[in-house]
Amino acid sequence: MKHVVVDPITRIEGHLRVEVQVDEATGKVTDAISSGTAWRGLELVMKDRDPRDAWAYIQRICGVCTTAHALGSVRAVEDALGIAIPKNANYIRNIMAATLTVQDHIVHFYHLHALDWVSPVEALAADAIATANLQNTLLGAYKLPFRAPNTSTTEAYEHDFPAATPQYFEQIKGKVKAIVESGQLGIFSANWWDHPDYKLLPPEVHLLAVAHYLEMLDKQRELVTPHVIFGGKNPHPHYVVGGMPCSISLDDGNAPVNTARLEIVDRAINMGRSLVNNYYLPDLLAIGAAYVKAGRVDGGGMAKTCVLGYGSYPIEGYTGTSDGGFFKNLLIRCNGVVEDFGKGLAAAKFTEVTAEDVTTENITESVDHAWYEYPAGKKDLHPWEGVTAPKFTGPKEGTETNWKALNESGKYSWLKTPKWKGKLCEVGPLARYIIIYTKAKKGLLPEPSWAEQMMLDQLDAVSKVLGLAPEVWLPTMVGRTAARALDAQLNAEINKFFFDKLIANIKSGDTKVANSDKWDINTWPKECKGVGIYEAPRGALSHYIHIKDGKTFNYQCIVPTTWNACPRDDNAGNGAYEMAMKDTQVKVPDKPLEIVKVVRSFDPCMACATHMFNAKGEKINVITTDPYSGTRVDK
Amino acid sequence: MDKRESMWDVYLRKGMSRRSFVKSCVALTSLMGLSTDQVSKVVEAAEKKPLPVVVWIHGHECTGCDESFIRSGAPLASDLVLSQIALEYDHLLAAASGEPFEAHLEETINKYKGQYILCVEGAVCTKDNGVYCMSGGKPFIETLQHAAHNAAAVIAYGTCAASGGIQAAKPNPTGSSGISHFTGKTPVVNVPGCPPIPEVMTGVVMHVALFGTVPPLDNEGRPKQFYGNRIHDTCYRRPFFDAGMFAERFDDAGAKAGWCLYKLGCRGPETYNSCGNLRWFQGMSYPIQSGAPCIGCSNAHFWDEDPMTTRMPEYGPLGNVDKIGAALAVGTAAGVAVHGAMSVIQKQKREAEEHEKE
Repeated sequence: MKHVVVDPITRIEGHLRVEVQVDEATGKVTDAISSGTAWRGLELVMKDRDPRDAWAYIQRICGVCTTAHALGSVRAVEDALGIAIPKNANYIRNIMAATLTVQDHIVHFYHLHALDWVSPVEALAADAIATANLQNTLLGAYKLPFRAPNTSTTEAYEHDFPAATPQYFEQIKGKVKAIVESGQLGIFSANWWDHPDYKLLPPEVHLLAVAHYLEMLDKQRELVTPHVIFGGKNPHPHYVVGGMPCSISLDDGNAPVNTARLEIVDRAINMGRSLVNNYYLPDLLAIGAAYVKAGRVDGGGMAKTCVLGYGSYPIEGYTGTSDGGFFKNLLIRCNGVVEDFGKGLAAAKFTEVTAEDVTTENITESVDHAWYEYPAGKKDLHPWEGVTAPKFTGPKEGTETNWKALNESGKYSWLKTPKWKGKLCEVGPLARYIIIYTKAKKGLLPEPSWAEQMMLDQLDAVSKVLGLAPEVWLPTMVGRTAARALDAQLNAEINKFFFDKLIANIKSGDTKVANSDKWDINTWPKECKGVGIYEAPRGALSHYIHIKDGKTFNYQCIVPTTWNACPRDDNAGNGAYEMAMKDTQVKVPDKPLEIVKVVRSFDPCMACATHMFNAKGEKINVITTDPYSGTRVDK
Repeated sequence: MDKRESMWDVYLRKGMSRRSFVKSCVALTSLMGLSTDQVSKVVEAAEKKPLPVVVWIHGHECTGCDESFIRSGAPLASDLVLSQIALEYDHLLAAASGEPFEAHLEETINKYKGQYILCVEGAVCTKDNGVYCMSGGKPFIETLQHAAHNAAAVIAYGTCAASGGIQAAKPNPTGSSGISHFTGKTPVVNVPGCPPIPEVMTGVVMHVALFGTVPPLDNEGRPKQFYGNRIHDTCYRRPFFDAGMFAERFDDAGAKAGWCLYKLGCRGPETYNSCGNLRWFQGMSYPIQSGAPCIGCSNAHFWDEDPMTTRMPEYGPLGNVDKIGAALAVGTAAGVAVHGAMSVIQKQKREAEEHEKE
């Protein structure tokens, strides 16, 4: 048995460490731990701040999912205060969200995950003519022509498509060759390039993907221009409680939003559609098909046993979240839990997630293996009564400040363990696809929206390419990465759908974008609380605010990364990262590329997980409010 | 890596023309805020200076600065990372993980002692031996001190690295602070902003790369070329401020017409940054242009100056803001005086409030 440590698992906010036990005879991982190695204490920072500013503070949880946390926050405050946002604000927020999702998935696949699958070194063996031919073949075979029901078409033709000439690929090869030969490898330094996994793909796929890696590095910046128009900048665009700050006027040249500004948004949306259709999906399918053909259907872990979603994209605004309004007109009704998907559709069980789940003790957190302690007798706590008394106990081997091995039987992470009805769940694009697919096949989705129908059509198309049923290929490492690509295509179309709605609504004469009726703190109740939920690129996200005397009394979030990267729970078992690692075969224990690849298939982003906990000792009472123990305060 | 190439070597190797090289140098000259008679110096530096080795480390942060960096349009992040610098260590973009990656960091530090540029994103956690921010099994503070003491220069990217940022806001649960107390004698360039403008980030690293020195700094360690003006000084809504025309609410007629956002809490008048002149995404927009008041994200400890949307006080002896507009319209001299007075009053008011709280 070999003990293997990977620390840091580099990527977004790379404070992530994993340790696995590999049976060297079989290559099987027998045990795995996932540890978040930092915390920042933002929830304590929120105390006593103006709730109208909460979005700006809590947005700084993450510089990648900035919009996710800002929207979770404004939705929570609006839920607490009973503010309904104007139609335009709902459309624009949805455009912001879809823009984030498309750009984030593209960056993840090409810049944060691709080098686990493809290698610049292998690309050097590629033949440029064969690569150009392959590019054309892939475009023919793997382009999935799904579209939103459009009301306007502004493109003369598709502007963004991959070059498929030998000259182009020869030039890229030359560029890569020069980098490799100079020895100045920069970002390509020190990786396990001699790992056998890199031999799974033909050299031409390597060259193609490396070429697109470089192209997307330049193009990704153009995709987020809607954030710059509507929110002033990116990362960390601006929001406002009650709607959006970007007033709309077709009369004023200085207006934040007018026709000229909307044209920039339109261009970015069309570009996103083009990039996912012409680059992302064909590249992903070429790589995925090769892996599936080689029998690589491992790394699924918890996707086989339990996934959770909250649902996304309110079509026409909503009254609130805790009153259930949010769930009533969703474009994608993936608010639910699917258990035992890995056992096949017949055995899979669907349970709807409702407002009751997000506002009651159906959702709790435990700290069995997190560096915190709960009051005596408390095993699980709802986030609104969450107690966070830090109890750093050090590693099993090594010292406090020089870790050799963490203590899997004791405490080993700064992340808590969230649970739904006592169960651990995986969240993310894969969860959303599993939920919609299961619902549809079980007859629980009688009239699918166009977006839900598109998800089903996408799954059919990919299943044909791979020659396997969704319940076989979806709950795997490849399936997780593929679901993200499908989610990108879906969101590119959703972006267009809401842009069309925005244009139609402005055309009808409605330019209202913010509701300031409750801007004045004197109009607020003395005490109230709210929930804001959101399907982030990485999965289900919920923000909780408790407002007292016009100030933030308590702020809590349960974020996608804590669902997936959490340490184990003594009753519920291992978290999603840990389950997926245990489900993976490792060929060379000293070079655990498969482990890195399976963890990165979740799009690890520790930033949202590292904010979660408050300071020790005296201030604990600050965030231990239990809204259910005393008189319930209604808004 | 035996021979270290200059930017010109890279252009030669790639078969790119002298013309395109000189064009890049001209673009860099203006990007760095230098006058056109400096072009020859930039060309000379770009010809001879080897590609600078860059090490990029992460403390308590949100990765927003990294994300901003890859949004740079001129130079494009791809050009910078693949042709103009050798980015040997960075959690976001590096292919490698774990032990070999940490060993590569050590190797890079030893090999290029005193020569590499250290970019730091995020605050340093000081409480309880730094156990709240661990990477590679060690506290970040150790990595920071080791890497900074051997670097040629340190660039503190973002408000977190410059002054502690969001996690250092009250009550600062992790004892986080800006990095400059932990960098020894190595010169530090502060590049505040939450995050900084992409081209400000790439511009600063290019300056160090090309000239071999840190750019001219102000008394807070910020490059003067990017932090020399208040946002208010170059704001496209400034004429409306001067004329006393203010948006009173989000989404009112004034907001639509692009009037001044001062009454909605805009901090432009006390925030030094390039949002007004460079703007974001190469002139596309910035928060004020999109209808959102400036939150002052490049100011040290701005997180503790809430509430954001109501915080600007009346101007004391000068009366309310409508009268200011009228007063300012009188003439430039009066304008300068009022703005000066305003900053002082603002500071005094804040200090008084602090005093009260204590």
